Amino acid sequence: MKTNKLAIIFVLSILLAGCWDNTDLTDINIVTALGIDKDEDGKIIVTVQVVEPAAVPLTSSSNGGGAGQTKPVSVKSYKGETIYDALISMKSIVDKRLFLSTVQVLVLGERFCKDGINDALDYLHRNNQAEYLADVLVARGTSPEQILNIQADMDVISALYIKGTVENTAVRAKVERKMLIELFKEIKNKCRQITIGQITKLDGKTVKTEGTAVFRDGKLVGWLDQYQTRGYLFVADKVGNPVISFSAPESKISIEIIQSTGKKSVIFKNGEPARLSVQIRLEGNIGEYIGKEMLSKPEDIHKIEKMLSEEVKKEINMALNKAQKDYSSDIFGFGEYVHKYYPKYWKKAMDEWNDVFSRLPADIRVEAKIRHTGLIKSPMKKDE
Amino acid sequence: MGKTRISGIQLFLLITGFLLGSRLIISPASESKTDGWLSILIAGAGGILLVTMYASIALLNPSRTLVEILRDRFGKIIGTIVAISYIWYFTHLAGLVFRDFGSFLVTTTYPRTPMEVIIAIFALTIIYAVNSGIEVMGRISEILVPIVPVLSLIIGASIVTTHDFTAFLPVLENGIKPVIKASLNLLAFPFGEAVVFLMIFPHLNKMKSLIKITTFSTLSVIGLFLYIFFRNIIILESHFLDQATFVPHLTSVLFPGLNLEPLFGVIMIIAGGIKIISAIYAAVMGLSQLIGAKDYRTFTTCIVAFSVILSIWVHENIFEVFNWAGNTWFYYSIPFQFIIPLILLFLSLIKKADPKPQDL
Repeated sequence: MKTNKLAIIFVLSILLAGCWDNTDLTDINIVTALGIDKDEDGKIIVTVQVVEPAAVPLTSSSNGGGAGQTKPVSVKSYKGETIYDALISMKSIVDKRLFLSTVQVLVLGERFCKDGINDALDYLHRNNQAEYLADVLVARGTSPEQILNIQADMDVISALYIKGTVENTAVRAKVERKMLIELFKEIKNKCRQITIGQITKLDGKTVKTEGTAVFRDGKLVGWLDQYQTRGYLFVADKVGNPVISFSAPESKISIEIIQSTGKKSVIFKNGEPARLSVQIRLEGNIGEYIGKEMLSKPEDIHKIEKMLSEEVKKEINMALNKAQKDYSSDIFGFGEYVHKYYPKYWKKAMDEWNDVFSRLPADIRVEAKIRHTGLIKSPMKKDE
Repeated sequence: MGKTRISGIQLFLLITGFLLGSRLIISPASESKTDGWLSILIAGAGGILLVTMYASIALLNPSRTLVEILRDRFGKIIGTIVAISYIWYFTHLAGLVFRDFGSFLVTTTYPRTPMEVIIAIFALTIIYAVNSGIEVMGRISEILVPIVPVLSLIIGASIVTTHDFTAFLPVLENGIKPVIKASLNLLAFPFGEAVVFLMIFPHLNKMKSLIKITTFSTLSVIGLFLYIFFRNIIILESHFLDQATFVPHLTSVLFPGLNLEPLFGVIMIIAGGIKIISAIYAAVMGLSQLIGAKDYRTFTTCIVAFSVILSIWVHENIFEVFNWAGNTWFYYSIPFQFIIPLILLFLSLIKKADPKPQDL
């Protein structure tokens, strides 16, 4: 009898524990994208994109017109003193609790970033609902609200469309994919500056994710274009399989990079940093070759390898120049190397490292290897 | 005594689970940042010495529990007083683990559930387990504790993909001081807490292998701590370690496309549960021997209830929890973990105890 009573208590207690924090799916608004911006008075504007699951067509083939009148996503904005304040105050215009664990994309506004993001993102880190794996982007030339308001025709939920473009572009190494958790790591990390991918609006249906927003001390200072971004990603060792195209006399070549490793270090002389050193190793295949020259001997390949490494070197140089001369911001993380291997010097120079970094000359070494040429050897042309 | 027995492997797993305990939520040696591995090694070396000392005390006083040893060695009056303070210490220890556990679950998973409810429900299970006896506790640990390292390894292996394996550099950036401080903390929490097992050692069926068992479980705990440290620092980087309230939990939510958080909760409940069970059992057993009661089960409910209330009262907020675990606990533990056992060992070495006639 005694054990029976105990058993009942246990079963009850387990069930009760499960229910206390329980929220039904019908009681929440599923937030797929979050936008954060500031207005002129310094108030935070939070934009949410909410999905109405019932309105999402089940198959892609069912034409949108027949699926009822309700829109699958709706976008709302609200102002507040802080992010949390704005999100909570927003409850006066939305009908259910906002559920943040499903956020796929976080879009930051330009003005918000220029005022500094170091302290401002605290809420997203503190809240146990925040999705650490959401992709972070900075909206350039537009507001997060406008980005989230696009009516994408590729996907009914535009947040998923944006996330898809980020994934695509990150593989091509034209945008850096930065997840929220990585952003938090960089905010804490004194040895490198923050970079976030860039998003622009093309028209009412399309966005473009390409380029990089560069920060210094947590404040947005400028942008890298797509080629500089690729150069930066080569050094940061974060490239996937980009295709690098360049033209030689009488030919145009596109190389698909299969593998790339980037190493960076700082060379010290007499206890002071003297040079930056970058070493890149590439392996690629010929993806396209338009030209007259035959490809048959190993020497022909070596020629292309040389051109490829020159091209990569050029892009890295552009990125380095921009970061050193224009922004004076160590986005590559050379500071990490100094911190690890020269901790004594780092302690002294920690605060002016960005200036030291901007003065240092750089050695860039690129070793490119081309392994395969695809299904054909020589270019397509009539036999002579 | 002498009737209920646990096997060597059960004791091994019980000690391992106990030592892992709530250190799994409060990251081991995160105060010393990149030098945490050094702290773990230093504390581990000290831990082996301490645990071996406790085991030797048990060997020199065969089939006697801590309370009996204290009364034998210190005389009836002083022995009783010291024994009472040990019972308090064990109850307090259980209360602190209850609190760690409650704070963790309230912060990460159940923000709207009162912590008292979570702790109370957990306490019901603890009462049941302790009342079932030491053999059941041994079997619980045999089934559950192996899950802890396996899950930890799975979590780690699935998150570490392309990361910086030199993240633990530079060595000794801030000098040796923070390293020593962190290792002393780690020594007192959890290694020194194994003094609890002086109440449980007499249950072992083969006393000969006692030192081997304790050393081996301490070693495996050190190994797991090192693994967890390197996992955390590789994934989160040193700048991030002291930011998070519950570091290992943060690591577990980073797995892309899959929510590993519940797995982490499972680890936590197992290790914390084993720790509380051992501490409560020691306190209850000690109390019943002190009073001379026939059955220790009479006291379980009241001791557990007391430590639950203590756990809610003792700290006002989460920073007090961490401050206590990080700073005060070490000094508070010195007499219980170092001084009294050292005196006991000394006294036991001088005069070997007469083996109890009815035993073995």
